[in-house]
Amino acid sequence: MINKNTLNWKVAGFAGEGIMTTGLLMSKTCAKHGWYIFDYTEYPSLIRGGHNTYQVHAGPEPIHAQKWKVDVLVALNKNGLAFHKEELTSESMVIFDQEDDNVDISIYNLAGKNFNVPMVKLAQKVGGSRVMANNVALGASVFFLGLDLSILNQVIAQVFSDKGQEVINLNQKAAQAGYDFVKSNGGQPVVNLTKKPGTNNRLTLTGNEATGLGALAGGLSFYAAYPMTPSSSLLHYLAAKASKAGIVVKHAENENSAVNMAIGASFAGVKAMVGTAGGGFCYMTEGLGFASVAELPLVVFEGMRPGPALGMPTWTAQGDLAFVLSASQDEFPRIVLTPGDAEEAFLLVQKALDLAEKYQLLVIVVSDKYLAESRFTMPKPKTSYSHERMGIDTKPQADESGFYPRYRTDQPVSQRTLPGTANGGYIANSYEHDKYGFATEEGPERAAQMEKRMKKMELATSGMPEQYYEADAQPQVTLLSFGSTKNPIRAARELLHEEGIESAMLNFSWLWPFPKDQVTKVLNSGSKILVVEGNYQGQLARLITQETGIKVSDQLHRYDGRPFFAEDIVSYVKGTMLKKKL
Amino acid sequence: MTEQTPPLDKYGRSAAGLTYPKHPTWCPGCGNYAIWGAIKAGLAGVNCPKEKIVIVYDVGCSGNMADFNSYYGLHTLHGRALPPAAAIKLANHELKVLVVIGDGGCYGEGGTHFINLMRGNHDITILAHNNHRYSLTTGQMSPTTDKGVKTKSTPEGVIEEPFNPVAIALTNHASMVAREFAGDIPKLAARITEGINHTGFSFIDVLQPCPVFNPNQSYEWYRANMIKLDDERHLAPDKTKAWEYAMRTDKLYIGLFFKEGKPAYHQQVSELKENTLVSRSIANIDISPFLSEFE
Repeated sequence: MINKNTLNWKVAGFAGEGIMTTGLLMSKTCAKHGWYIFDYTEYPSLIRGGHNTYQVHAGPEPIHAQKWKVDVLVALNKNGLAFHKEELTSESMVIFDQEDDNVDISIYNLAGKNFNVPMVKLAQKVGGSRVMANNVALGASVFFLGLDLSILNQVIAQVFSDKGQEVINLNQKAAQAGYDFVKSNGGQPVVNLTKKPGTNNRLTLTGNEATGLGALAGGLSFYAAYPMTPSSSLLHYLAAKASKAGIVVKHAENENSAVNMAIGASFAGVKAMVGTAGGGFCYMTEGLGFASVAELPLVVFEGMRPGPALGMPTWTAQGDLAFVLSASQDEFPRIVLTPGDAEEAFLLVQKALDLAEKYQLLVIVVSDKYLAESRFTMPKPKTSYSHERMGIDTKPQADESGFYPRYRTDQPVSQRTLPGTANGGYIANSYEHDKYGFATEEGPERAAQMEKRMKKMELATSGMPEQYYEADAQPQVTLLSFGSTKNPIRAARELLHEEGIESAMLNFSWLWPFPKDQVTKVLNSGSKILVVEGNYQGQLARLITQETGIKVSDQLHRYDGRPFFAEDIVSYVKGTMLKKKL
Repeated sequence: MTEQTPPLDKYGRSAAGLTYPKHPTWCPGCGNYAIWGAIKAGLAGVNCPKEKIVIVYDVGCSGNMADFNSYYGLHTLHGRALPPAAAIKLANHELKVLVVIGDGGCYGEGGTHFINLMRGNHDITILAHNNHRYSLTTGQMSPTTDKGVKTKSTPEGVIEEPFNPVAIALTNHASMVAREFAGDIPKLAARITEGINHTGFSFIDVLQPCPVFNPNQSYEWYRANMIKLDDERHLAPDKTKAWEYAMRTDKLYIGLFFKEGKPAYHQQVSELKENTLVSRSIANIDISPFLSEFE
């Protein structure tokens, strides 16, 4: 047994065999020990079969990302052994079921230790089904990781609370059987973390759950979507909460409908949002310009995954950045937010709803599969939220023409009226329009309306907060990224620090308008610069050059559907940038 | 607003005291004039303050009516009038929602919205201006153009068979299905009033002459080829009979094909049972009920 700062657990098996639930139980068990967690799952785009993994990285200090080397690997089948042997160290423990998959463990030449646990047999012995073997594995894992079995049992009771006491009992018995089996057959814990007293001031949730919760806090009233990974779980979350929250969630017939529904709801006066993946966002682009020219508040959640076209549905990428910045024809104001973790997702979706209403424009919140579906620890937020409605004229007066000048051009944001309000009638128009909303093709009128809309970008720029920045005293290298790449970079900085390399990082969560001043300052700070992003062409690096005129030669790109690992970033910094021996 | 005829500015827009903002830009003889008149008369017949009526316009000659009316209006993208119309009703179900759309937008570009939103019995009234052509884009075929007809985009004749909107609506759970003729303003106006007052998806296919791009289907042609359902003593609850009438293509039946009472979409949304969504206060939101599952 060794004393470590963190534990890293992984389960691998066939998709559709309950691995997601097993991982959730482990994450929650670690969180209930008072620890921070980060969990990460890989799964194929199918319902049954295929290879599915779930890893939980946990510890008493903040955990930022997944980690390459595992402490305990649960291999539910032979692929679980074959595919992950590189992730083992001499101290790792592998749990496998020799009997169930007829495993000859010797052929894998595994580093570290291994332990044969007849998971399926033990599950069946306590009266459970085959899938209950996962709970046997959890029980065994809890033992090897030095965790408290009673906490696992609490978590089982919580997660299965809607399935009845019988199911809870069965799952707990299976976990007990796994725990007892390894204990009574000479197993020894492989990790010993300092326990912290249970804390109730943190939440354990995925990026999409944080987005959904943030949307509820932000006063969202109408959400429309068409399912597409990695945005579907946001639809599921909001649909499940709709009744309790008093909001309307509409699964529309397609993405075109979803975005146009949201525009209709916004016109009628409610805070509206849509959610989709990159592919669905392609369909929705038509609505972006409509919302903008009609100056109706609209929030769009866009979850990136590898493309083009259908790409790799259940994997991650940051390749939609350039598209999101310019999607839909011609020019109009937009704000693009790119939260990096659950807490930022929670806060920024509130901000998005707020800004959309305040400036009557489009706000796009860009996530990706890695952020959307990974689970994070975040501080428990305050519970009460107050929102003032903005820019709505409740006592409109028609002007001398008899119509309401909805789009008067004396300021970028003009008051709007809501249908149902007397004397406020106007046309919210997809065509260029005059101040009443009636279509126009006159040059001066067009120019005035265009200038009115585009001036909103100045307002948005003036209200922009600082980007996430952290730094050692004398950074040799500064890492620039956007969105979820924040997490492996934070983890990489810790590894660099352990090796005595001082570093800094700037992660963009506001990409448009571009935070030019802060970025220019960082670029000119004298440290080496590395841009890390999940696409082929270096879209963020190009944007930085476009906006600051400064070229960044060191760039690390990843476009294989996987997130960055801290270890890869560290080896690039050390090997390529600082020319140190690896 | 006064009813006197206002002086016009150089763009054809009246300067003050308007009953309508701009003068119509339709061709002489266009069926839209009659439909426009029927809409105004039909909406006047609805017992509802003007500000509680919203018209959602699609793109086309019919949609250009957005500039000639003085109701709250949303002039949508092409083919997309129905989704925002349904959402306006969900956001504020005290509003009456009329959709002004053409055959291209309703049956072509936005066909999936037409098919899917009628299934939900969304409480909106669809006025489909069916002139069997894409007229704003100068006369290409539309989904309802007859097979064999030569148009600019089909110089050897349309290969497809025409879309049958009435039969589809009957098949696909629309709760009110009618077809009327643009040339009969009182009848169409009454049907619009009936559609607005009907709780649920009310669909009116309007046979509209386009003398410029579809001169063959003229007012006279329609008058010679229409049969009034009233003359057949058709009773609206009889769906089977309605189908028979809808499937006949050598003659066009006009009138009310079908009507039934059933709950509208918003009436089946639990969150909307008590109040409208737009009246939901966001001044004090408490998220504590949503935190326990993440603790």
